[in-house]
Amino acid sequence: MSHLSDDELVLHYYGEDGPGIVAAERHLRSCEQCARAYEALAGTLSAVTPPEFVEAVPGFDEMPAIRQLIRDRSRGQSPPLRGSRSMLPAEPGWIAVVWLVPLLYPFSFQALFSSARLAQEQFVGMPLVALTLLWAFAGPFVAVFALNQMGADHLERASTRLLVFGALIAAISPALFVLVSRVSLGLSLWYGAITLGSLMALFHWPNTSHSTVHLLYIHRLSALVLTVFTVAHISNQAVAFVSLSSYTVTRDVLRIAYQQPAIATLLLWAVAVQVATGLAMGMKKVRAGSLVNNLQVVSGWYLAVFLLTHVLSGFVTNQPSTTVAAPAAQFNLLASARSTAQLPFLLLGVVAFLFHVGAYARLTAMAFLAEASVRRLSYAAMFVGTTVVLGIGLSLCGIHLIR
Amino acid sequence: MNDGDLEAFLSLVERHRRYMYNLALRMTGNEQDAKDVVQESLLNAYLHLDQFERRADLRTWLNRILVNCALDHLRGLRRRPDMNNPRPISDVVETAASLSPDPERLVANADWRRQVSAAMDTMSPLERVTFTLRHFEGRSINEIAETLGIGNNSAKQHIFRAVRKIRCALEPHWSSR
Repeated sequence: MSHLSDDELVLHYYGEDGPGIVAAERHLRSCEQCARAYEALAGTLSAVTPPEFVEAVPGFDEMPAIRQLIRDRSRGQSPPLRGSRSMLPAEPGWIAVVWLVPLLYPFSFQALFSSARLAQEQFVGMPLVALTLLWAFAGPFVAVFALNQMGADHLERASTRLLVFGALIAAISPALFVLVSRVSLGLSLWYGAITLGSLMALFHWPNTSHSTVHLLYIHRLSALVLTVFTVAHISNQAVAFVSLSSYTVTRDVLRIAYQQPAIATLLLWAVAVQVATGLAMGMKKVRAGSLVNNLQVVSGWYLAVFLLTHVLSGFVTNQPSTTVAAPAAQFNLLASARSTAQLPFLLLGVVAFLFHVGAYARLTAMAFLAEASVRRLSYAAMFVGTTVVLGIGLSLCGIHLIR
Repeated sequence: MNDGDLEAFLSLVERHRRYMYNLALRMTGNEQDAKDVVQESLLNAYLHLDQFERRADLRTWLNRILVNCALDHLRGLRRRPDMNNPRPISDVVETAASLSPDPERLVANADWRRQVSAAMDTMSPLERVTFTLRHFEGRSINEIAETLGIGNNSAKQHIFRAVRKIRCALEPHWSSR
């Protein structure tokens, strides 16, 4: 038997090494090096004792406070707990920001279009392009930071629900706007959708404490199918940065595969399952202070609406989806204010996919690799992802390495 | 629910309150946070009483809520470092130490506890909670993973990292003890 690793020694100390416990013990009796390492570990850990059990805490009687809180809650009031920090109401500032994002979103890509036009003529337009790009892409990122500030009351409070639903609408704005604009070109439907979202926040939602283990299994299974297709699709889009002709050749090859009826059906099934299971789990995963979790949730929200808009729009409306648009039009999104809306929509779809898969990969890797290795891998993945997104972004604006 | 239900609930949880407070104290490391976590847990338990399955054990159910509240609370504190001014476990121990007959030994003990407390402060919320449950509470890794809704491997890795941090911080002091 080879030497026991530090982690194996920890498992042995806690008696968690399962059937290997006897072999490990036998090894420790015969290997002086491991025995010394184990002795050092056991010496330290056995000296880490819990504080004495406190029999009675002087001046601590939370029952009157709890009694009062529960009564207040049943009367529809919700004051914060005595001395509690995590039950503080959600930051009013964040609530305002998350609702401002969708309210102002329709003007962002118009500003982006105008500033891009200005930048073509005068250099002074470049900072404006950068600012308007930030504006148009801000929604999902604002949502992640806002969710990190939410109270730990699991959507019990109206203020927390207002923050979470605002974050939801802010996150999906670029995709929802494209979906809504396919039905109606006016802004009334858009503002109607936002009003509906704000009204939903006022209702106390049924508790979602049911187990999501089975849903998660199906979600991951369908994600596997969809990831294979999406990686191929994104690579194809990235190839467009090299040249339009290479993009067209790659696309035609890929289409032979994914336009087969069986594969097309499988992909549609995967999209439907992803969206349905994601929606069922989406609110449950939201957690204050858990950045990676919230990143995965927000990217999931965006992907759900993005997939519905991007893949199913051709079935729902008679207008062509972006997937079947002619390459020339597809890669010249700054041609009009309306087509500019496709830029944040499509690029955020790629970003959301990379973050969604990346966050899951990071959480999974944490279970097998050391923290430093996971961090290094994350940086490498972020570098590759940023390069891909930039390449696709430039190609969508009509910039290619080979004309 | 009416006032009768509320009083019945409060009398039911009364017998678990001391254990809940002590577990919260071990996880959070200071009295005020422990009190807050117990309050949050009891409030959540009452509001979600309809989800308590009759075949389940009340203490297990309350503990599950408590552990997750503690985790949320620790994450919340991490977000607000300016608001985190805890009274460390060592202070609690020192209070007890002042009443004991062997001051020299207990001062050394209190010093050691301060080191332990500082080492635990370097842990992430999940590392701290999983380590507390495994090391102080003797819960199995399976049980911890189930309580927190994370995978077994993930729970193991959090414990491994917590132990590494504890060893890093304490072994230099341990050798001189």
